[in-house]
Amino acid sequence: MRLSLVTALTLLLLWTLVAQVNHALAELRVYLFVGSLFVIFAALKLPLRSGLGASLLSGLLCDANSPVDFGTHTLLFAAAHTVVFHLRDRLPRDDTIARLIVALLTNLALFLVFSFIQIARSPAPAAAWPRLIADLVCSQIFLALIAPWVFALQHRALVLTGTTRELTP
Amino acid sequence: MPFRRFATHHPFATLGFVVVAWLFVPVGLKSFTRASFFELTAPVTVAADYARGLQEYWSLRLHSNHELIVAGRDLARINASYEFAVQQNAELQAGLERLESLLRLPTYNNYRLEHARVARRDFSGWWQRIVLRKGKNFGLTSGSPVVFSGGVVGRVTEVYATTAVVELISSPNVRLAGIVEGANHVMSYQGGINPTFGPPMGIVELVPLDTFASASSPKRLVTSGFGGVFPPGLTIGSVTKVELSTDGLFKTGEVKLDERLGSLTEVTVLVPLTPE
Repeated sequence: MRLSLVTALTLLLLWTLVAQVNHALAELRVYLFVGSLFVIFAALKLPLRSGLGASLLSGLLCDANSPVDFGTHTLLFAAAHTVVFHLRDRLPRDDTIARLIVALLTNLALFLVFSFIQIARSPAPAAAWPRLIADLVCSQIFLALIAPWVFALQHRALVLTGTTRELTP
Repeated sequence: MPFRRFATHHPFATLGFVVVAWLFVPVGLKSFTRASFFELTAPVTVAADYARGLQEYWSLRLHSNHELIVAGRDLARINASYEFAVQQNAELQAGLERLESLLRLPTYNNYRLEHARVARRDFSGWWQRIVLRKGKNFGLTSGSPVVFSGGVVGRVTEVYATTAVVELISSPNVRLAGIVEGANHVMSYQGGINPTFGPPMGIVELVPLDTFASASSPKRLVTSGFGGVFPPGLTIGSVTKVELSTDGLFKTGEVKLDERLGSLTEVTVLVPLTPE
């Protein structure tokens, strides 16, 4: 429970920062999506229940602040968490570069799935793709820049709150 | 061996349990959870906006007195022309009311103007919306039209304790009835195409065949006042392109919206005085 809450608090901070960046970028019509950062650390480092709890909480947070069917982010994050958790024993999960690559691939998958879900609402779906691809490229660059800091922040938060003992080896 | 196999698939069993559990959660509980999580983040959004305001204040403090005097003079000139416009508006309003009573016409909705600061902008390729720093505490109601100096901003979709969410006219979920200025044929407007680094765009359908517009001679699209919450005559955008639709009965076109929609800091909510 403590693991989930501490991780969710760091994800709340991440959500706040990304929301502020998107606020500033609205003038340029650029939007950053970093859904995988809400999932990767929890999926790679935390036990299943605590990690899934943190991912679900961050999914609810994103759902509450988006005009989508409630649960869209939550279930997508849960699915991404499960897949990454299933694969984590085959990955060098303590290596930052490996984590970053997993984060980039997961973000790509989440973005595409989310786009296919949302694109049906657009009056001209084909015309929307150039914008979505531009957003995806910007999001991946932004994610590559901030992911190491986010992972370090989440690890440091767990160390400060003394919950690292509960982490899986 | 069976246990090991189960352990391998355990995460997927948990995911399946979560999905099934989610399907059975009552809608009321989902709505409550959504509102609770939004209210949880609302103070963060508002605090960030206050911090931005403070930053702006201190950057303005760096301006010289000379710049302040020039700005004050310009503002006085604008105020003088606005005062004249207010007088004209009052005369026209009185004339309108007189005609309405003589001809026994139904009156247009009356609105209270509530100015609000934009706390957060959220402009993705999927949706475009803003969060205002006023909510139920200032009597805002869901469905109220939101305007700015350039015309229509959008419609209030969600109202919370101290914040409200506005869906912009560039969002694909927003549909309006509009007319080309000077004409009387109602057409359907829908937002949705928002290119990177370009102005927001929308599309217009059911355009009559005798309507012509191009980038060099655009037509102003305004609200019709029919079948919606928006009063008539508010600018939606400029029709910059029309072409024959696939059925050949009408035309469809592109509407260029105001570029300032992406940099709004203050908007006005038209709160109906007689809510439905």
